[in-house]
Amino acid sequence: MSAYISAFRMRWKMELQYRGAALGGIICQIFFGLVLVAIYRALYLGKPQSMPLSAITTYVWLQQAFFRMIFSSDPELMDKIRTGSIAYDLCRPLQLYGYYYATIMAQKLMGSLLRAAPMLIFAALLPEGWGIALPASLPALGLAACGVALGLLCVSALENIVMGLTFRTLDFRGTQALFNMLMMTFSGNILPLTLFPDSWQRVITLLPYAQLLDTPIRLYTGEYPIARAPEALLIQALWTAALIALGLLIWRQNQRRLVVQGG
Amino acid sequence: MNTVKLYLHSMWMQLKCQLQYPASFLMQTLAQLIMEGGELLAVILIVDRFDRLNQWEAGDLYFFFGVMSVTFYLTECFGRGVTGAFPGMVRSGQLDTLLLRPRGVLTQAMCWAMDPRRFACIAVGTAALTLGSRMANVQWTVWKALALTEAVLMGGIMILGLFLLEGIFVIHSVKSVELVNAITYGGRSACEYPIDVYPRPLRVLFTVLAPFALTLQCPAAYILGKPLYGWPDWAAFVSPLSGLVSFALLYLLFRRALRFYRSTGS
Repeated sequence: MSAYISAFRMRWKMELQYRGAALGGIICQIFFGLVLVAIYRALYLGKPQSMPLSAITTYVWLQQAFFRMIFSSDPELMDKIRTGSIAYDLCRPLQLYGYYYATIMAQKLMGSLLRAAPMLIFAALLPEGWGIALPASLPALGLAACGVALGLLCVSALENIVMGLTFRTLDFRGTQALFNMLMMTFSGNILPLTLFPDSWQRVITLLPYAQLLDTPIRLYTGEYPIARAPEALLIQALWTAALIALGLLIWRQNQRRLVVQGG
Repeated sequence: MNTVKLYLHSMWMQLKCQLQYPASFLMQTLAQLIMEGGELLAVILIVDRFDRLNQWEAGDLYFFFGVMSVTFYLTECFGRGVTGAFPGMVRSGQLDTLLLRPRGVLTQAMCWAMDPRRFACIAVGTAALTLGSRMANVQWTVWKALALTEAVLMGGIMILGLFLLEGIFVIHSVKSVELVNAITYGGRSACEYPIDVYPRPLRVLFTVLAPFALTLQCPAAYILGKPLYGWPDWAAFVSPLSGLVSFALLYLLFRRALRFYRSTGS
């Protein structure tokens, strides 16, 4: 176990080195957030919805703040498979799935924490109707934090499946693009899932993509009341377990039929 | 003329190259289709829930989306060498070889790569454009067709200029700067919707600094018969020329930046 933890810590420290790059990312994400909020404000002016505007702006800011948790991948890790240098990792006395899982998770966690903290402060300082609102209640905040943690476990499992499939196709761009593009739409990044037609929501909130950030955000804004929280967290946990199991299966099969590229 | 022939020839070669890996190509094209389809889906769902955005109705919104999408992805498809490949050339020092050849750096960069996967996005954009003009009952005239052609052309040139801006940053700082993305990709996302939705600072940014509004939206609004800011009709034909101006300025800066280029060696 301690080996995986130190893999996690190593990647974490590496991510901390790129604080300069994070600044550019923050400005970019703030910009996208402002644009989206401006559009929703104009839309609400024309036809207010049952859901308050502040819930939508909060949704937008939380999505932007944790953007890096969902959309970040490490081309170096992926390239290891194409170039064959994965062979070195195979020599390690470790279970490869766990090793990569820890690495991916560290990158996602640190990448998003570095960006989320300043962005959320910025969003909180924006005037009423533009920025992020306070959580529905203190327990709601705690539950949302649990939700984000589960979301992180879930998205790392998804990413690791993409890695696993890369062993078969060698070119990760195809599989990754297919995975991620559904993610853009159904994780609520382009349009908050709360604004999808009500009849769709019953289905899309059950998809794995909704488990990443949509569930924690709904817990934060109180869209899911505290009574519904156990159910929501359970769905997250079930998806995480299922995706990890699938990933483990793919990786195990891969190792049996692996042909190392290059020399 | 010779340059154009060279460019077309290398585009043809690039296309043939990409088709050498049909499975990967198809998967990536499909992914692009899903991605751009998802963006269009967001607009459709917004219309479904909110009906309209200020004075702009469903058809208008699809039309604006389509104009932006077609223009942006045409530029990305044919200008791939400038936006995708150029930063890598600077970082690896490959640019040195370009400087030795008897052609302009921009010409060579343009010939360097092409991204035919973007045809999927262009198809989605065209569909949105057609749908929008049907729904908004646009009466097409020669003038309107001309305005649309000019908008796509000038918008494309302006976006190519913005891609050069990335090149300028890279030459000066070697590492690619995410900040430029806020203007190019942020501009694309923001200006999929009519500009008058935004607060003043954003409007100024996309009218004066990166004139998406002047090159694309002013003609689009003219075609829809709802002139932007109530400007006269002739503005729809004059304002897109700002794209040429901004490209010229950025090209001069690019030339200047090249003089400061220091090879990374290796």
